[in-house]
Parts: sequence; structure tokens; C-alpha cells
Amino acid sequence: MVDTPTICGFCSCGCALYVEPTGRRVAALCPSANHPVSTGRLCIKGWNATPALAGEHRLRTPLVRKADKLETASWEEAISVTVSALKQAEPAKIGVIGSAKTTNEECYQLARLARDVIGTPNVDCGCRFYDASLIPGLLETTGVPGSQVGMDAITAAGSILVVGANVMDQLPHVGSRIQDAVENGCKVVAVDPRTSRLAPQAAMFLNPKPGTDLAWLRAMAKSIIERRLYADGVPEMQGFEELVSSLDGVDAGRLAEQCGLSAESIAEAAELLASNPRTIVMFGLGVMQQAESTATIKALADIALLLGGKVMPLRGQNNAQGACDMGLLPDMLAGYAPLPDGAAPGLDAARMLRACATGEIEALLIFGENVALSAPSTQETIDALGKARFVAVADMYLTETAQLADVVFPACSFLEKDGTFTNIERRVQRVRKVIDPPGQARSDLEITAGLASALGSSISADPAEVMAEIAANVPLYSGVSYEALEESWGSPWPCDGAAPRLAAIPPGILPGGAAEPVADPDFPMRMIAGRINFHQQTGTMACRSPILAREYPKSFVEMNEADAEALKIRAGNLVNISTKSGTLTRLLLLSEAVPRGCVHVPHFFGGDSPNALVSYQPDPISGVPAYKACAVKVEAAG
Amino acid sequence: MNVGDTLALKKSDLAMFFASLAHEMRLVAPKRRFGGDVIFDVVESPTQIAWDYGHDIYPPKRFVLPHYEDLFGYRADGEVRFEDLGEAPMQAIVGIRSCDVTAIRFQEKFFSSQIVDPYFKARSDNTVLFSLVCNTPPKKECFCICCDAGPYLDSGFDVELTDLGDRLLYRIGSEKGLKASEPGGHMLAPADGEDRAERKRIELEADSLFATEAYLAKAILFISADEVPDKIWEELGSTCFRCAACTNLCPVCTCYTVDDRREDDGSCVRCRSWDSCQYAGFTREASDHNPRPTFGSRVQRRFYHKASYQYITRDGRHGCVGCGRCVSACLTKLDLPSVVKRIRRSMEEYLQPLPSGEVRP
Repeated sequence: MVDTPTICGFCSCGCALYVEPTGRRVAALCPSANHPVSTGRLCIKGWNATPALAGEHRLRTPLVRKADKLETASWEEAISVTVSALKQAEPAKIGVIGSAKTTNEECYQLARLARDVIGTPNVDCGCRFYDASLIPGLLETTGVPGSQVGMDAITAAGSILVVGANVMDQLPHVGSRIQDAVENGCKVVAVDPRTSRLAPQAAMFLNPKPGTDLAWLRAMAKSIIERRLYADGVPEMQGFEELVSSLDGVDAGRLAEQCGLSAESIAEAAELLASNPRTIVMFGLGVMQQAESTATIKALADIALLLGGKVMPLRGQNNAQGACDMGLLPDMLAGYAPLPDGAAPGLDAARMLRACATGEIEALLIFGENVALSAPSTQETIDALGKARFVAVADMYLTETAQLADVVFPACSFLEKDGTFTNIERRVQRVRKVIDPPGQARSDLEITAGLASALGSSISADPAEVMAEIAANVPLYSGVSYEALEESWGSPWPCDGAAPRLAAIPPGILPGGAAEPVADPDFPMRMIAGRINFHQQTGTMACRSPILAREYPKSFVEMNEADAEALKIRAGNLVNISTKSGTLTRLLLLSEAVPRGCVHVPHFFGGDSPNALVSYQPDPISGVPAYKACAVKVEAAG
Repeated sequence: MNVGDTLALKKSDLAMFFASLAHEMRLVAPKRRFGGDVIFDVVESPTQIAWDYGHDIYPPKRFVLPHYEDLFGYRADGEVRFEDLGEAPMQAIVGIRSCDVTAIRFQEKFFSSQIVDPYFKARSDNTVLFSLVCNTPPKKECFCICCDAGPYLDSGFDVELTDLGDRLLYRIGSEKGLKASEPGGHMLAPADGEDRAERKRIELEADSLFATEAYLAKAILFISADEVPDKIWEELGSTCFRCAACTNLCPVCTCYTVDDRREDDGSCVRCRSWDSCQYAGFTREASDHNPRPTFGSRVQRRFYHKASYQYITRDGRHGCVGCGRCVSACLTKLDLPSVVKRIRRSMEEYLQPLPSGEVRP
């Protein structure tokens, strides 16, 4: 029988769905018709969620490495091996990486395990490899480290600027509402190096060169100010003078040209947005994973604030918002509270991994984040993990990361535990256990509490109790309770009190404020890494769904026909895409959507990830590695 | 009592009537869920039936063609052994709409033509359909009236119920319906002239209340003759979110896939689950050739099944019952009424004489 709804654990839209269990299997699955996001609809991943979670290779028992082999072990043994390894390391040499796929309760308690029980400042979540740059970027501008608006606002928007997001494929419920908005007269300005499936909805589609967003945004801000397109009261806003002076001497035409655009098209886009108020500025990982992602996000927030509009970052993971809200961050506590006086921030997740190679980190706990594939420079990451004295991983499957671990804890899927997720519109929603976990698998909350207990501290493993504690300690969540979530679908946490301020948009860090680095003749092409509709993150769940995995059975790259001709390669050939970090071999397809000089490399199933080609070079402010606009070489394979 | 009888059942006896039936078979009926959601499900007591349920999303077809279903188990360690896992409980689907009854009858025909599907047949043989007339269309997306599938039926139901206020008109449509009427038969009384007149009034009023129209005839003409230009199909396909809700939630769609699942004890289970012609992987052949390579061509495929003469000739009706679920489940506007409208409009444009005055070939 179908009982109570739960929340989908794929993307951050956070749809409510009903699942009917029969034993360990699922017999039925359908969307909720009355839920404010799903409204009776699901995307391809939602519809195919359950086979992805109930795959035959789910971990059923803990594993402990013995004589270089992972062997089945009891929970007692796995926990005791982990605890003695943790006790042997100085707390400052222990790292804890959580997952933005786990519940708020699990994230909150994991941060406590790290900070209060183990005593290490090195705590972070998987968002470091995706969208953590929005936290500094938005806290210093809109003041809201998340979306300022809900899903409903999209259909009512007058204009929408979408930058660096394949929103139709990745966040279908947002994409669907953009289509509705366009039908209501909304004007969409889409900006992406590659022409995406948003094109039919867009009044303007601009294709800048990859990685040049900061430069054209400076030109756009300049254009808005020069033409006085900004909303009433903007000159009185905090930061306006600094913004204006940071744009002194900007030659919009020259900047636009460096980005592969024209000053006219940027001005036209600015006018289109300004003349259709109720603007929403959306941006995806195309922005949040750039070389200067934080600065670019600030510039985007400026555009929104100048136009009197709102910002909606398009976060990928189902609980990206919640994981950050819960303080799974090296430099902030739950609710974005500052660290206590005098406390230095810990290492972020990317730095923790690299520190394994130098011995700065000796022991690493990784919950539900497949860092071997989600971190950059796969070989370097795997080597670094190999050098750590001890690695424990909690996951549903024996992921590429878990295979390298000394202890593996079998974890629950989102259908097998209670908790809450916070979606893209900051709505805190109730996740319900609808099927039993396989074998001895436990929720991350139980695993965390088990470790704390073995380390001599007691932290709750009861989700409702943990939420009560969160509500008492984190003002953003003060209105949340399980009782209230039995009566309603939940509401977004409040963001009215934030005081926005405009940020200066100085030129980027490249010499002479150039829009993009000087081309390296050895690596003359730019890689556009992205996801296809059927994929999610590193594929741990999605690649186990027979229907999702079936859609694109062969991994491919896409290039413009002219580039392929110049390189004397044809559609259907195998090509090598390489950097100093590694090489991928893929089937070549031709696509007019990919601009000249670029190669589109989708993330794919089975570990064949474009992340392997990218270096650890981070955004200087947020530490999010620059996955986008990587310089690559493309040549025929073999 | 006989097949074809028109009887009356007092509402005060309704729960008792179905409680008597529940001794013979399980009851599947609309049930209220969180936040006002309604889903057809097994009910433990007739008091759980949401008679005034309005709109539901998940078609009751899943009780004859389950979304996920274990067919048989096998072991291949040494001697190969099979175990039939098909389940076909005796069940009454109570309160099912006319459109969904029509759809299940369509599926019965499909699964018994050429090769009989034993799993489907066993389930449908053991299922009694108590349809409920829609006195008013339950949602604005309904268009069964354009599809000859409601809001009330002439045939196809086992029992048809019409809400007449303090009582229900009770029509027996089949031997199965007759048999299922026996446990509570003493609560049924012959209907009188007033009951029949009231039913007639409800029919006329219900017919007049539809908000969605699907003028299928012209679209069927263009689709059947393959006259809709590829460009139009590709335009339609370009907006598709590839979720396959349209076929999952279509009460008529029958396509499925099979997977083998390995159990903890080493045995395997052949599982059948709903599949969709909207997925590329559904039609891709072993050679990698895909006869439906683009999204537009797959949308065309779907509408060829929903609205072409070929299927009307073969199945006696077109493959849509107007339940409106594709309207509410689609992330864009690829539901039947919208597509039919777009085809009609674009064909009008397409069929305009060329500027030279010539007519297109």
C-alpha cells in the first residue's frame, strides 16, 4: 500500500513522491499532485528513482580492510577499527567530509561529531566540489546564501537571466516553470557557451567564450549603470558607489569582444531585463565552478540587485542547501554563524584530500560523497587517498571512493530513513522511511551516533530529537518541527531580514584584467563539462537504474563540425581529450550547439569523468576547484 | 438479478454493501492521502473510500498491469528451476472512472490478441470493475467526452454506479458484476422511473460541463496519412523533458520492459515494469540503429498510437480515453489536447496555398 509521501533525493527541486514497498522492493511510485513542487509531475530521474536505490550491489554489511582486501565485518569491529584509527591521529590531522545528499539531521550531527567529539576544524561537505562558492558570493551581496525566491516566483517573473545552467535537463521543475513563464510573457536571456535546450524559450541566447562570465558581467553592470536602467532607489543602496568606481574605465565594447560577444548584445540584454521587471537571475554550476566563481556570483547578484530583481542559484544536489545550513563547512557553524573568536577555519574538502598526500591529514571520514570521482584530477585524488593512513567511507554502494577505504559502512538510501531535506527554494521537507534498508545497512545518523558513542560522547540518533535541537540552535530552522511537518509540506526558511548590498566588481585576477587566460598552444581547446539528462553527480545511484543507464549506452563528446574537420576527425571516431592531469577516450559526435574551439564533455557512467582532466586550481575565495573552461587537447585516438 | 438490471442502492447501505463484498475479494478504491492527494489503493474498510475524490493521478491500471511486478523466479545453480511468482488476487476496483474502465478493456484486448499474456489475463480475470459515473467532470483537464470513454458508459463496466443524492443507481453490466452483486444483493432494490429520469438529467448536464476539448478527428486524419511535417514533430520534441510521465500515467499504455534481479540467496527474479516509447533506449536495436532516433520522432510514435486510423481499425478505438492525466503530468505541453491543437493549427498554416497560388503537393 502507498502510505505517506517522501521527498525525492535526486536534484534540489525536492518533489514529493509516494512509494509502495513490497518487502525490500518497490511495487509502485507516483508523484504527489498537491505538493507545491511536484504538482503531479516528476522528471525522468524521479520516475526511475527506485531501481537506482535497490540495485543488487547495495552494501549489506560493514567491510574492513585486512591484508589489503575489504572483508565482511561486524558493526562492532568496523566501528572499533575506525575509533582506534581516529584516536591515533591528532584531531587537527583528521578530516570529515559529509554529503549534500544526506538529511539535515545527519549533516548537523556529522558536523557535531567532527567539531565537538573528534575536535577537528576540518569539516566540509560535497558542495565544495559543486556550488559552495555561492555562500561567500551571496552572503556578501543579497545576504541570503541560497535562493531568494520560491518556485512560484518563476512563473510570475517578468524576465529571467539564466547563466551557465542546463536547466531543462538538470532541474526539470525549474525548466518547466520557465516555459510557463515564457507563455505568460516573460523574457528569458540565456547565457551559455553551448546552446542548451533552453534556446526555444530564450528571447536572447548569448554564447560567450567559456570562463569569461566575470568579464561580460562587468560590461553588463557598466551598461546598466551608464544607461540608468537600474531600479528606483538603487543609488542609495549600500555599496553603489564602490560598484560604480570598480567599473571606472571599463570599456564595455572591448570586454564584450574579449568574451566573444558584442557590446550591443550585452546592452540589449540589459535593456530587455530592465524593461521587464520582476527579474530573476539564475545561475548554475557553469558559474559556480569557474576559476573566479565567487567574484562572478557577486557580479550576478549585483545585476539582480541593480534591476530590483532576485537571485536563484541552481544548486544540483537534493540537500545542498541543507548541508550548508547545517554547518558542514570549514569556516562557518550551523546557520552560517561565525566560528568562535580566535578559531581558525579548517581545511575545506579539496584541501583535505590534497593534505592526505602531504601527511597533514592522516585520517579521513567520508560520508556519502564519492570524492574519487567528484574531486578534480582523479589520479591525483586516488593517489592522495592512498597515502592517508586511514580512510572510512559510508555509502550505499562500493563506490570508487569506498574501494579505496580501510573501513566501509553500508548506508541507507533516502527511502530507508527519516529526516528532512531543504530544497532549492529553502523549503524544509520531511523525508520518510518507506522501505527497509538492505542487510545491516544503517542511516548516516545512526553511523555518526555510533562513532560518537564509541568515542565516549552521546549524540542523538533520533531524527525528530535532532530536528528539535536544530530548531533550538539554528534560528533559520526555528519554525521547523516534525509535528508541523505532519500537517503541511513545510515552508521555506525565512530570508526577509537580510540587508542586501552591492559588491564592487573588480577585474579578474588574470594579468591585465584579461577575460580569459592566454591560450596554451599544447591545449588549445576549451572543455565544456556538463551533465546529460539521465545522469546525476558521479552516477552512484543513476547508473544503477537500467532505464537511465540505457538512454546513452556509449559515452561521447560533442564538437562543432568545423573543428572536427580541422582536426581531421569524423563523427563516430574515438577521440582523446587530454590535459596534464589525464586523458579521456570518447566517441565523437558533431553538434552545432557547441561553439568553435570547444568540446562538450558530458559526465558519464562508470567513472569516465571529465573531472579527471581538471586540476585542483581553486577559486581563491571559496576553494571550489575550477572545473569549467579547462584547456584541453583533442585528437584522434589510437 | 440479471445482467442488464438497473437497481438502486441506498447510500446508508453503501459501506455495508461493500463490507459484504470484502469477504469475497479485496477492495481497491480511491483513498485520501497527505495534503489532499488521492490514490487508488487497497482499502481495509469501505469507510476509507473517498467517494467524492475528484481527481487522482496514478491510474488504477496498476492493479491489472503493475508498475513493478515479479513474474517468475529461477535458479541456475545446477538444475534450472522456475517458480511462478505471478499474483492475481480477487479484487473489486470500486469508484473507478469510466475513462479508466474503457482503458482497462482496451488493455485486455491488447494483452489477449495474438499471444495471451498470462500474468495480465489472470489479474484482469480476477478483477471486477465498479465504475462511478462522473456527474461533473472531476477536473478541468478531462476530455473523455471527445474520446467516447465517459463521463458515463453504455457498456464495459461490470457494475456502474451513479450518484443520485441519497442513493446510487446500480447497473449490472456483466456476469462478473452479477456475481459480485450477490453478497450485498439484499440491499439492492429495483430502480424506479424517477431514478432513470434523474440519471438522464445527470448525463445531459455532465456532457455540458467539459472545459477541455480535443477535436481529434482532423488530427487523426493528418497523423494517419503521415502528413504532419517532421518539422512540427521535432518542434514538439524539442520541448520534451523526456520524463515519460505521459506514458506511465496513461491508463491505455501497455509497454513494459523486463529485468532480472538477483536476490541475496543467489536466485533471480524476472521483474516486469512500465517502460516508455519516449525513451531512446526503448526502440534502440542491438545493432545500435534506432528507428526513432530523435525526440520528435518518438513524440510522433506516441501520437501515432494515440490517434491514427491503423489502431482504430485494429483495436476498435483510438488509444486515448481522455482521462487528462497527460495534461497534469507533463512538464511541458505534450499532452494530447495540446498536441492535437498544435497539429491542427500548424496544418492549417501548412495547407495554405503557396504565395504562387499553387497548392502544396
